[in-house]
Amino acid sequence: MKNINRRNFLKFSSALTFASAGLTSNAKAAPNNILSPDRMGVLVDTTHCVGCRNCEWACKTSHGHDAGDIEKYHNREVFKEFRRPKDHSFTVVNEFENPKNELIPINVKYQCMHCDKPACVSACIVGAFQKNEMGQVTWDGGKCIGCRYCMVACPFQIPTFEYEKAIEPNINKCDFCFERTSKGGIPACVEICPVEALMFGPRTELIRVARQRIKRNPERYKNHIYGEKEVGGTSWMYLSSVDASQLKLPKHKDKTAPGVSESIQHGIFAYFVPPLALYAWLGGIMWISKRRKEIIQEVVEEEAK
Amino acid sequence: MKNYKLYIVLLFLTAGTILLFGSNLKEMKYLSQVEDKNQIKTQKYVQTKPAEAAGEMPKDHSKMEIDCKTCHYCEYPTINEPCLISCPRKDMVSVHHAADEGPEIVELDMIKGDYGVVVFSHKLHAEMSEMSGGCESCHHYNTTGPVLKCITCHEPNRIREDLSKPDLEAAYHRQCLSCHRQWSRETKCQACHINENSPDRAKAIQRIKNSKHPAVHEPEKIVYETIYDKGKLVTFYHDQHVNTYNLNCVSCHHDENCMRCHDVNLKKLRSDAMESQRKKVHKSFEDHHQACIKCHEKDDCGKCHRDRELQRFDHFTSTGFDLKPRHTNLKCTSCHKEAGNYKGLSKNCTSCHSNFAEGKFDHRRIGLELDEVHADLSCGDCHKNNNFANQPKCNDCHDDKYFPHDLPGKKISLVVKDNKVTKTVKKK
Ligand code: SF4
Ligand code: SF4
Ligand code: SF4
Repeated sequence: MKNINRRNFLKFSSALTFASAGLTSNAKAAPNNILSPDRMGVLVDTTHCVGCRNCEWACKTSHGHDAGDIEKYHNREVFKEFRRPKDHSFTVVNEFENPKNELIPINVKYQCMHCDKPACVSACIVGAFQKNEMGQVTWDGGKCIGCRYCMVACPFQIPTFEYEKAIEPNINKCDFCFERTSKGGIPACVEICPVEALMFGPRTELIRVARQRIKRNPERYKNHIYGEKEVGGTSWMYLSSVDASQLKLPKHKDKTAPGVSESIQHGIFAYFVPPLALYAWLGGIMWISKRRKEIIQEVVEEEAK
Repeated sequence: MKNYKLYIVLLFLTAGTILLFGSNLKEMKYLSQVEDKNQIKTQKYVQTKPAEAAGEMPKDHSKMEIDCKTCHYCEYPTINEPCLISCPRKDMVSVHHAADEGPEIVELDMIKGDYGVVVFSHKLHAEMSEMSGGCESCHHYNTTGPVLKCITCHEPNRIREDLSKPDLEAAYHRQCLSCHRQWSRETKCQACHINENSPDRAKAIQRIKNSKHPAVHEPEKIVYETIYDKGKLVTFYHDQHVNTYNLNCVSCHHDENCMRCHDVNLKKLRSDAMESQRKKVHKSFEDHHQACIKCHEKDDCGKCHRDRELQRFDHFTSTGFDLKPRHTNLKCTSCHKEAGNYKGLSKNCTSCHSNFAEGKFDHRRIGLELDEVHADLSCGDCHKNNNFANQPKCNDCHDDKYFPHDLPGKKISLVVKDNKVTKTVKKK
């Protein structure tokens, strides 16, 4: 009777895990809060960016990173190498040749895209990442356990890790200047941009303006707002004169990225063989060993008789 | 007993999964909420927009003779979708001043930044605009009447309701940088902004006032590779055309990017282009013949289209009159005075130099200082019939002397200044 009970319980829990596993993989991972329809975004018009890198300086300064002299940022030598955002540079500007005019290179600023359905949020197993109502994706150091799942999950390779710090290293990424933008302010990089290549405003309005620009100037712009639909939409969006993929903006489908991240998670779990199989397996082993002990016990008892 | 512990763990795990599943449901609900909110918003938008658009239209507006396209960018504007261009005045510009009618220097001080005001040479830029887009290349969307300030349309705040136009700072910077980026690839702030407290301020302003257009890098030869099999190459000696026909840039170049000729920092780019020398013709037939056809209207194709590159025109081999040494720096039109006619000029010096007369001509000018005996002779004694194109004859007086083997004086190098020989140096 005891055994039957145990077996039934195992069956029941396996079935439940089965069911829940199936459901979680279907459901789209979504932010924790309610996303405002008036949420803010930034439209990066790469046809206007002049590559002054003031934004890099402003970002560092506003986040208490060692920024140095702004004049040094006007040195264009850095463009020889392609750079990615890293721990104390939440944003970087890169340069590409312009096939339409060799005299005007194309400069592109990179930072967190603040996805509407952020992969980092759904990848984070302790909920250190958060999508905020007005669009910002922020990160809470108090919760982070340093597993770096977010780095793998992000479709834009944005979160970085303070590898050089031995004690309490942080995950680092652009926080959409949460301190400012949550109080109705404007991101530091947008504020300093001399040509307003970065335009801050309600996301819906930015899309409208972007469409208008494309329509009025079809020779200047590719008919594509990068980030409008990619990975389910992002708060930061790009206009460009060439194909976005030529600017190393990764090609993504409109489907939300969390699918990607979940499959990674599930892949990992598949190796660990948890919920379902693990329970069953563990249970099985325990049951078998218990049974064996019982049998041995019985045999011993019998022999002793 | 141990088994019960396992059950408890499993129970927790299962409860956790159920909760997770539950929270997903919650998220789904909120997503649909977002969609609802969106709908509400669009509805509101539809309701408010027509009121704005149909709102206060100036009374005479409908009577004005304006193309609908001037204000509406779509084909069929409706009351819900008026698709208004934000500043729809591009085609109404009537401000056309000559460059020196405008101000010479304008101080752009509308934005108080860290970098000091921009001292802008309006005159210099206005001169440039004469070569290309005219006043409206900067004063775009200007109405008839007074010249509008940028701030009339471009708001000074970066956080603003109407995002369809750049803010004031961006408007300035875009306007300037769209050319200056190509011009010098320079994005340094100090190139335009002069700090009020800077000790060099006065000097900098003077520099801007005095600034001139950078030198033009004129190409010498361009060989156009055309699409035709026969007469594929057109050889064009740019410098020769300019000098021969005394042309200004604007005689041929219209609506060009300044960069094409005024080359500042991009010598490398240009010299590469120059080395290759051959240019593929990619414009339309009309476009690439436009510059030539004005003068070559009556010429055959073969005048320019050849199978080989042409040699540069050489005055001596083509006409027998050597321009060396004293005529090399002259413009063709200094001698060939009759427009378009380059034939029939006499080689005799006096046909141009009417002042080369007996007793007035300083013989040292041709590099030969006459000795005392010969200096007293009249021109015709050596130059028969006063024809200076022919070699002088010595045999009227001398049986055994021949020019140029024997000279009536000594050769000198000389410096001619203000039409006078000021210094002579004996030639070794
Ligand atoms: S870009 Fe990457 S880090 Fe930024 S919100 Fe999207 S998934 Fe997260
Ligand atoms: S929004 Fe803020 S944190 Fe993000 S790149 Fe700009 S300045 Fe840096
Ligand atoms: S500040 Fe603006 S113009 Fe300068 S590099 Fe950044 S985005 Fe480009």
